Parts: sequence; C-alpha cells; structure tokens
Amino acid sequence: MTLYTERQQGSRLQDFLEANAHVLSIALFLVACCAFFTVLNDVFLSPGNLLNLLRQAAPTLIVAVAMTFVITTGGIDLSVGSIIALVNAVAAILLRDGWDWPIVSVLMIVLGALIGTFQGYFIAYQRIPAFIVTLAGLSAIRGVALVLTGGFSILIPPSLFLTLGRGTLLGIPLPALLGLVVAVVGYVVLTSTVYGRRVCAVGANTEAARRVGMPAKRILLSVYVWSGGAAALAALVIAARLGSGSSNAAVGMELDVIAAVVLGGTSLAGGRGTMLGTVLGALTISVIGNGLILAHIDAFYTQIVTGSIILIAIWLNMRIFDRGGGKR
Amino acid sequence: MNAHLAEAAKAASIPRDGTPRISVRGIRKSFGSIQALRGVDLDLWAGECLGIVGDNAAGKSTFTKILAGTYIPDEGSIELDGKGVRYSGPAEARNNGVEMVYQDLSLCDTIDVAGNLYLGRELRRGPFLDKAAMQDGARAMLKRLEVRIPNVAAKVAQLSGGQRQSIAIARSASFGPRVLILDEPTSALAVAEVEAVLALIMRLKAEGVAVILITHRLQDLFRVCDRIAVMYEGTKVAERAMDKTNLEEIVRLIVGEGHHT
Ligand SMILES: Nc1ncnc2c1ncn2[C@@H]1O[C@H](COP(=O)(O)OP(=O)(O)OP(=O)(O)O)[C@@H](O)[C@H]1O
Ligand SMILES: [Mg+2]
Repeated sequence: MTLYTERQQGSRLQDFLEANAHVLSIALFLVACCAFFTVLNDVFLSPGNLLNLLRQAAPTLIVAVAMTFVITTGGIDLSVGSIIALVNAVAAILLRDGWDWPIVSVLMIVLGALIGTFQGYFIAYQRIPAFIVTLAGLSAIRGVALVLTGGFSILIPPSLFLTLGRGTLLGIPLPALLGLVVAVVGYVVLTSTVYGRRVCAVGANTEAARRVGMPAKRILLSVYVWSGGAAALAALVIAARLGSGSSNAAVGMELDVIAAVVLGGTSLAGGRGTMLGTVLGALTISVIGNGLILAHIDAFYTQIVTGSIILIAIWLNMRIFDRGGGKR
Repeated sequence: MNAHLAEAAKAASIPRDGTPRISVRGIRKSFGSIQALRGVDLDLWAGECLGIVGDNAAGKSTFTKILAGTYIPDEGSIELDGKGVRYSGPAEARNNGVEMVYQDLSLCDTIDVAGNLYLGRELRRGPFLDKAAMQDGARAMLKRLEVRIPNVAAKVAQLSGGQRQSIAIARSASFGPRVLILDEPTSALAVAEVEAVLALIMRLKAEGVAVILITHRLQDLFRVCDRIAVMYEGTKVAERAMDKTNLEEIVRLIVGEGHHT
C-alpha cells in the first residue's frame, strides 16, 4: 500500500541562509577586504584610520540608503553626485554671505528634495525612463553648480556648521553617527512600514500594485524626493568636513553609491531591497578606497582596481544567489 | 412552502426583478486600431453566477477589467446597485466591493504569501505593518479555501503555478466582495483545487455575492453558473440560462456557427 505523506519542511536555518545569501556574502567579502588590507599595511586597523574611514564613508552611506529605495522600485538615480555638487556650492555661497547655518541646512535639504521631485515627476507621471531623466540631471545640475561658482572653490567661514563634518560624539565622528541614524531609519521604513511595503510592491509589479489600489505613481515619485534630500544631506556633511564648497564635489559619487547598493544585494530589477546589505556595501566601497591609499597604490590605478573589484564582487554575489534561485 | 416555491421560481426566472447588482450598457473600448469591445450590455444580480465564454481575444478579459476599473471604457455606463459609477482606477472599484482575479494573477513575486494576500489592505499599527496579524489572517484565509501552503512567510516566487493562482483567488474572495470577477481562475489548478474553487463560488453565491466566471472549462460552467454569456469579436452574441442550454449549443455559439449563415 502506498502511503500519502507530507513533504518535509526544509530546515529553518537553510531557509534563512538562502534568503540572506546576499548579505552574508557581502559581509564575508567585507571581512576579507579588511584582512587583506591589514596584511598589506597594519595601519589599516588602527582606531584613527577606522574612524577616518567611517567619517569618509558617511556621505556614501547616507545617499546609498535612499538609493536603496530608488533601486527597489526598479529605478535608478544617476544625478546624486551632481545634486551634491550643487547643494555643496550653494550652501557655501549662502554661508559665505552670512546666512545662519541652521536655515541654510534646512533650505539645502528642501532644495535637494525639490530637485528630486522635479525628476520624479518626469519619471513617474511622464513615464520617461529614470535612467534618462537622471542622466540629464547629472549633466544639467552640475552645470548649474559650475555657473554659480564660476568653477572656483568657495571657503566656508568658521562656525558651528563645520562640526557637522569634523566633530565627534563619544569619540565617534558625527558624520558616521548621522549615517547610522539614516541607515536605521531606512531599515525600519523599508522592512516594517506600509510605505516600505508599497515601495517593494511597486518595484516587483507596478501594475499589480496599481490594481490593488496603491498610488503607484506617487510612490514612484517619492523615492526620488528621498534620494534628492539624502544627497543634499550628504552635501552638507561634505561641505562641513572640507570647509569649502565646490562644483567639483562628489564627481563619480553616483557610481560608488549604486555599487554599494548593488553589492549589498538589492536587485536592479526591483522588488527586493536590503538595507543591511547597503550598509555593508557602502563600508566595503570605502574600505577598498581607503585600503588602496594605505597600500600606496598610485591614485591612477585606484579607479581601475575599484572598478574591477566591484565587478568581481557583484559577479560572485550573483553566482551565489543563482545557486539558490536560478530565476531571472 | 409557498415561500420556498417563490424562492425557487425567483432563482430560475431570468431576468430577475429588482435592481441588478451590476448593470452595464454600451461598453466600447479600443486599443489603437483594435476595437476590443464594440458595445457590450450586461446585467448581473446578487447571488448569481454568470459565465462568460468566447474565443481567445474575444474581449472577455478587457470587458471584465473595465468592470474592475483597470481600464477606462471609451464609451458606456456602469451601474452598481442602481447607482451610476465612473471609476478613475482600480482603487475605486475595489472600494466599491468589486474584486477581480486577473488572468496574469497580479502578484508581487518578491513579497511573501501573507503580504500578497493583504496587498493594498495591509494590517497596520500606526505606520507599521502588523506582520504577525497578517500571517495569522493569511493562514485563516488559506485554510478557509482549503489551500495548502505550509509557509505563509515564503516568497510568492517560490510557489507553484497553482499555489500562486490559489493566492490570487483567496485575496479576491476574502474581503467581503460584492462583485467577484474570476478570469480563468482554474487554468493551473489540480482536481481537488478546482473543486475547492467551485465550492467557494457556490458559497459566495449563497452569501449574495455576484460572481462572474471566465473559463474555458465548459463543464465547470454547468456546475456553478446560472447564466452564460457568449462573446465573439468584442460583442456579446448570446445569453442563455444554464438550465435551458447544453454543451453542444454553447460550443456552437462560441465558434460562431449560425452567425455566419
Ligand atoms: N492592453 C492592450 N493593448 C492592446 N490591445 C489589447 C490590450 N488588451 C487587449 N487587447 C486586444 O483586445 C482584444 C481582446 O483581448 P482580451 O484579452 O480581452 O481577450 P480574451 O477574450 O480575454 O482572450 P483569452 O481567452 O485569450 O484570454 C485582443 O485582440 C487583444 O489583442
Ligand atoms: Mg483573457
């Protein structure tokens, strides 16, 4: 007689490993990078260097958190580097002209969010691909910054503002703390709120989201508001750290940010985003940059090495993932 | 005794008295040069199941998507319980109690089973998702429909085609719909699951839901439907009470024989 038996449920541990393969592999990769650079130069692990690394990683991390939302909807924002340059320059001009720094800070974040709204409108409501809209933004927005500054760097007069980039709290750099706060908020919003669920739904299947009554277009627009606002916040941090504003700030930063997000395991196809992965990805990008400098590798080679490492890491990451799913 | 007879007579007589649950007139819809619908009229009463059959590309899905607010008709009117409605999108139709299982299912692959069942109706505590409550609710929904999915926290992408279809059906049936539209809901289901869906339709009918069932499995229509409408090239060409027709006639109506003579 044949028995009808139920299939065994797989072990929870195995399910967990499968579901978090991306995050685990990027964590391992980060540890491996740290070990490698320590071997090359043991200054790498010194507290001074690590704190410096965190300070420098903060702007990338802040923007990457917002970019995780953008990429989870299946979009992309190439304009963040240029938004940073513009905000950086305008903030420096206003501070130089004697505006109060709290007012300037608020205004700058509003400016970033407005630029994001403008781009988001074309993406969500006019259905122009995000790649095109933000590529145009990448070019035009830095252009505005160049016009405003004439290409010169603008010195920011000393004030409390500079502590935003240079200060520490309990020995930890303020930018790093700011980045941590942004990441925690991003994590909670993405995984635990109705809004985060809507972002995932729109990214996974926009039409399905619309059919169940979600305001798909508004959600799509909103993520570009966050990326614009986050870029502005990062710009303030950078301006405060360097004590100056320049239209040449953050050139190529969008690539670091996108690499961090994708390294972390957020799917470029949309629908699946992981904030923890993004944090690890942003740290990895910064560790690579910092480690290569400490290893005295010629700055010209740094870009080549960074690009290659990113490609290899993402390739390995996808291989590991494919073993589990094999779809797409 | 008399009441019983009246009840039976009412169930059998078509058209019925009273306002229809949903009543549409002169629905037209074109996609570019393709006239998908060329003027469709239909009435549907509460507690009734209407089958819609027709060739591929006859316009069945387009018609029902208009009822569900997914498409806006070029022309025509829709009345719900005698009240004219003009949807600007599916959200409004859903708020009016019109639910639909789409042919393509409309699930989000990267979201878990519970999340898909509550998609657009997330249980919340303030701005936060109440995931535990949704998982409990999801288990209850699936149990009621006799769907076996061991792990409601599994991503929908990991499920079989039939399981996915069951989720789409459970989602549409579980929130007290007034009109339930099923666009080929059983195409991927096994024997027992089809039976469960048919039983579900009977149960919803008894609760006074108006059901529209699109299917190519004609034998199912005879088991649950009270009436059947046949569509052909964007028009409704025939309507029959189920107990006054048979399989051969319906097949003939679908392929269009008799219309060409
Ligand atoms: N979004 C669309 N854009 C363009 N044409 C469409 C669209 N939706 C439907 N059509 C056209 O409308 C006609 C009717 O399609 P519909 O999907 O309603 O058919 P159907 O009766 O549901 O067929 P099936 O049995 O294959 O599901 C077809 O000719 C189809 O090509
Ligand atoms: Mg169809």
